[in-house]
Amino acid sequence: MNNFTVLAKKEFVQMVREFKVIWLPLVFIFLGLTQPVVSYYLPSILKALGGGQGITIDPSMAAQKGGEVLASTLGSQFDQLGVMIIIVSMMGVVQSDKANGMLAFILTRPVTVGSYISGKVISNYLFVACSVVLGYLVSYLYVILLFTRVDFVDLLVALLFYLMWILFIVSFTTMISTIFNSQGIIALISIVFLLGCRIVVGLSPVLDNVNPASMSKHAMEVLILGTVNTDVIWSVISTIVLSALTILVTNIWISKKKFNNE
Amino acid sequence: MKLEIKNVTKKFKEKTAVNNFSMELQSGECVGLIGPNGAGKSTLIKVIADIIDPSMGEVLLGGKKISKMKREIGYLPQYPNFFQWMTAKETLTFMGQLSGIKKEELTRSIPEIMSKVGLSGEENSKVRTFSGGMKQRLGIAQALLHKPSLIVMDEPVSALDPIGRREVLNIIEEIKKETTILLSTHILSDAEEICERFVIIKNGEKIEDTTMTELLNRNSENKINVDLTVKNQEWIEIVKSLNFVKGVEVIGNKLKIEVENIELNKNLLLASALEHNVDLVRFEIDNDTLEEIFLKLVVEK
Repeated sequence: MNNFTVLAKKEFVQMVREFKVIWLPLVFIFLGLTQPVVSYYLPSILKALGGGQGITIDPSMAAQKGGEVLASTLGSQFDQLGVMIIIVSMMGVVQSDKANGMLAFILTRPVTVGSYISGKVISNYLFVACSVVLGYLVSYLYVILLFTRVDFVDLLVALLFYLMWILFIVSFTTMISTIFNSQGIIALISIVFLLGCRIVVGLSPVLDNVNPASMSKHAMEVLILGTVNTDVIWSVISTIVLSALTILVTNIWISKKKFNNE
Repeated sequence: MKLEIKNVTKKFKEKTAVNNFSMELQSGECVGLIGPNGAGKSTLIKVIADIIDPSMGEVLLGGKKISKMKREIGYLPQYPNFFQWMTAKETLTFMGQLSGIKKEELTRSIPEIMSKVGLSGEENSKVRTFSGGMKQRLGIAQALLHKPSLIVMDEPVSALDPIGRREVLNIIEEIKKETTILLSTHILSDAEEICERFVIIKNGEKIEDTTMTELLNRNSENKINVDLTVKNQEWIEIVKSLNFVKGVEVIGNKLKIEVENIELNKNLLLASALEHNVDLVRFEIDNDTLEEIFLKLVVEK
């Protein structure tokens, strides 16, 4: 067994021991089912609460397509509360190792910084991705139950696009967690930056091409329109490059031993 | 393997923690790094364990850079922390695997090392439930597990109660036979007990590198303390007239007698005292204790 597998395995065991393996998927399942259920029952809810006087419910409003609902699961649930929860669940990923001295301790062993970081990023990414996939599938099930069917290929393509955005979220949070020492600051910076990225999507096509958050927009477009925008290639490239860059910064930061400047 | 520390300097912003420190450690030696708090001991230990890079200078083990020789180093931090959610056995397996030990070998060597440090029966307890002494012992176990040729310990006993201290000292005494040990401490009696050689560090600089006996000999001044019950003026005069006595200092019932050669003259002096029926209470070579020497070195220099 090489060091990467040892470290990745340790991450997974830790997730199980700290019950992260239960609560994070549950959160995403909950987020996933919220959108279709609320969309479906919104007219009835409005009707019941609105008292029925002077309010006209447009019947076409309820007739949303399945793809649209699934897209808004990504856009309004996962991209807001979902991103914040991913960040909060990951803010201590390197920071806690720094704080209790385990990072320095691990590195006194013949362990390369690369295998330490890849163990962290890959295990956490796989886990977060699985949680997202689970929530997405639950959302999909409710969508086909309550709305129309979604094309299976579109479903997969959109998911793939979305998971690239998740990759950036994970690697970015890992970098911030390596650089800063306070969990609050880490959460604040990550949330402000990543939600900021998501908000500016759509403002300028040029910016979109270098914004990893536009992967989320592309995923939504696939679900709504059923077609892939050719600009996606730029977003894919920039997402990969930027994720690699954050991992590189993390690597340099740890290699230079900046983490224990007391 | 030989450890060479060459002109190591470590600066933190304005503060110089270690200043141009050089030292060599032969294979099999046990060296105590002594100094007051804030002398730079921990910083130096961290440089040797390759946790922080020196601003200048280098550390070589067996002629190679320390960062390439991590397999040969066992490191015990001042406050070993570990992952709270792991059991003792998992901790050792984890650290062992990171050092490149095969799983089959670990299943054999872990129970062995656990009994060596006195933790048998605690294999499946969580580290969270461990006392300070148990954590320290687990720390020693992980430092020994991969059979390193150099063990570096940062204040291994300073944070322990007398019982834990005794246990850990016994373990170190045991492992001393097999490996080279470098340990830091500010408690002299601990160092005195386990190490032959001392390096005294102050303000980041090496001020002394010596052995215990040398240190004690160098600081003795060929004086003998004699306590008597009743002042015996006659004998004092006789002592003064002895040809090897260079001077006598009388303070109440206490005599401080300076002689030419302590080894040769001490028994002659005692014989003279017995011969004249002097009522002796105490007869000793005037030695500074290690603590006095340490204080002298650290405070005065």
